[in-house]
Amino acid sequence: MDVLSALDPLFFVLISAGAAIGIVFGAIPGMTATMAIAVCLPLTYALDLNHGLALLLGLYVGGISGGLVPAILLNIPGTPSSITTTFDGYPMCQRGEGERALKIGVVSSLFGGLFSAAVLFLFAPVLSDFAIKFSYVEKFLIIFLALTVIASLSRNLLMGLFSGLIGVWLALIGTYDVSVGGNGDTRLMTEAMEPYLSEGFSLLPVLIGLFGVAAILKEAEQGIRENTEGMRITLEKGARFSLGVFRNQGVNLVRSGVIGTFIGMLPGVGGSAASVLSYTQQKNFSKAPEKMGTGVPEGVVASESANNGLTGGALVPLLSLGIPGDSTTAVMIGAFTLQGVQVGPLFIGENLETWNTMMVALVFANLVMFAIMFFAIKYVARVVMVPKYLLYPIIMIMCVVGAYAINYGVMFDVWTLLLFGLGGYLAGKVGIEIAPLVIGFILGGQAEVYFVKSLESFGTYTIFFTKSPIAMVLWGLIVLSIAFSVYNLVKASRRKTQEGGA
Amino acid sequence: MGLSDLFEVRIVFDESHLFFPRIIQGLLLAMALVIVVVRGIPTLRAVWAGHRTWPVMDGPFDHLRFFGTLGLTVAYFLLMPPVGEMVPNTGLGFLIVSIPYMAALSVLYLHRRDRRTLLLAMANALIAPVAVWYLLARLLNVTLP
Repeated sequence: MDVLSALDPLFFVLISAGAAIGIVFGAIPGMTATMAIAVCLPLTYALDLNHGLALLLGLYVGGISGGLVPAILLNIPGTPSSITTTFDGYPMCQRGEGERALKIGVVSSLFGGLFSAAVLFLFAPVLSDFAIKFSYVEKFLIIFLALTVIASLSRNLLMGLFSGLIGVWLALIGTYDVSVGGNGDTRLMTEAMEPYLSEGFSLLPVLIGLFGVAAILKEAEQGIRENTEGMRITLEKGARFSLGVFRNQGVNLVRSGVIGTFIGMLPGVGGSAASVLSYTQQKNFSKAPEKMGTGVPEGVVASESANNGLTGGALVPLLSLGIPGDSTTAVMIGAFTLQGVQVGPLFIGENLETWNTMMVALVFANLVMFAIMFFAIKYVARVVMVPKYLLYPIIMIMCVVGAYAINYGVMFDVWTLLLFGLGGYLAGKVGIEIAPLVIGFILGGQAEVYFVKSLESFGTYTIFFTKSPIAMVLWGLIVLSIAFSVYNLVKASRRKTQEGGA
Repeated sequence: MGLSDLFEVRIVFDESHLFFPRIIQGLLLAMALVIVVVRGIPTLRAVWAGHRTWPVMDGPFDHLRFFGTLGLTVAYFLLMPPVGEMVPNTGLGFLIVSIPYMAALSVLYLHRRDRRTLLLAMANALIAPVAVWYLLARLLNVTLP
């Protein structure tokens, strides 16, 4: 009954507020769920764990869902994962079926979200029970696997791996902490940097810089174009929405939900991979594939149920292994750390109450998201028109607040924000990818401890191959993920030469 | 010497803080070399031959807004602590410096500066920091400069 005592009115108010703010962020092109969470983090500093998580989960679900609004109305994906929603949503809108398309998207989102929550509830505890038996060797290999999966799914395997390694390197700056068995010496810095960096870079200022400040710098370079100016939104004309649309979409809903959830579980994979995959699958199985892309409901259904399936899926590795499933959950790891909670195999067992309240929050967030988007869609549609010259300055000061307050007032954290904002902006220019870098940064410290401790106890590198059958299976998966990306690379270059020849 | 000796490793505790960083730096260096060979050299050739521009400089670049954002932000960060020192532990340093920063940033980002938009920008620059400051510093006791 402990769970019920945690569920006070404030808990539900925070979820609803989070979902509403998240939808706004998701709906504004160029702003993402990750940014919503990064910017709203300071609000959780004063809350306890359960309430903080309520707000964050609301933001997460709202932020992922809100992206469908501009995708359908303006042909601009509000978040990367709603890119495929534009394929059929916008043509529907042009025919005057904007509201119908939005509502189809919202219902699909709700299904995807609830489906993935169910998978999370069933799957995460099983995976944690399994992962509890892991020793340092397997834990290191899990991190290694996570990094190769991210790299192989990024645009370029080489750059993906390189970015991940840079993240690991950045994480190593500072002290090799005594509390994890280190010798307490600092490395990768000069003496002059020691007063600032003896603890290394703080996680949250780095994340807020990479996802908040870098995005604004990129927009500034483009001249802060108000890309919604002069556009008009027309809803309600033509065919009305009815649930009958979903009559033949059962298989599509479930398949897309499954794809979204399981892609979400792969660490570091962005949302667009899930919706693109489920959209192409629907096209393969559709009775009328030639109509996909001309404004048919099934396209919107496939895209939206997949991208909301991500939410529960991405939480699985976060809560059972301590490895974030995407950049949004990476920011959530920061929030957990802030509350003094270590996510990993022991999390669910030791924090059963938190786990249960999280599940309640996730389900409730989906319902609130549905209620807001379904019944107030006309008002939500207007937020896509909020001008950037008002919005971006607010984001900047929120980023500063988040960075400054995290360690109770360290100005160096604010400079970290700018450093990583600028660094993230420049990194994007030379092809370094932010998602693997962030995952590398988050996992780098642990990777070092597991690696060095394994070698200190066994004294040979071969232990990573021979420790246990699980280690061998993990190596198999590592090889598989690299092979997969090489296969993709070969396929892509072959297609390019074919197109060149034709 | 057997094959198994090849994989043997002994980590000296006093040096253990350098063990993993050295491996990572070695890998980074090796990968950087591979990337230069695989990607860098073809790009350089293309740039020299005039087929494309430097990757950092392609596309339109709004110098005013980009460097304006950077400059204003640096000034903002530099001014916040000294102003905060004048009225310590109140978070007022944040509030006082944020208002002109937001106003300047908004005006910088505006494309059509007429009365309506400027008024909106000023109202926003006044209301947003006050709301954030009141909610966080006063109600929730979050530390601000």
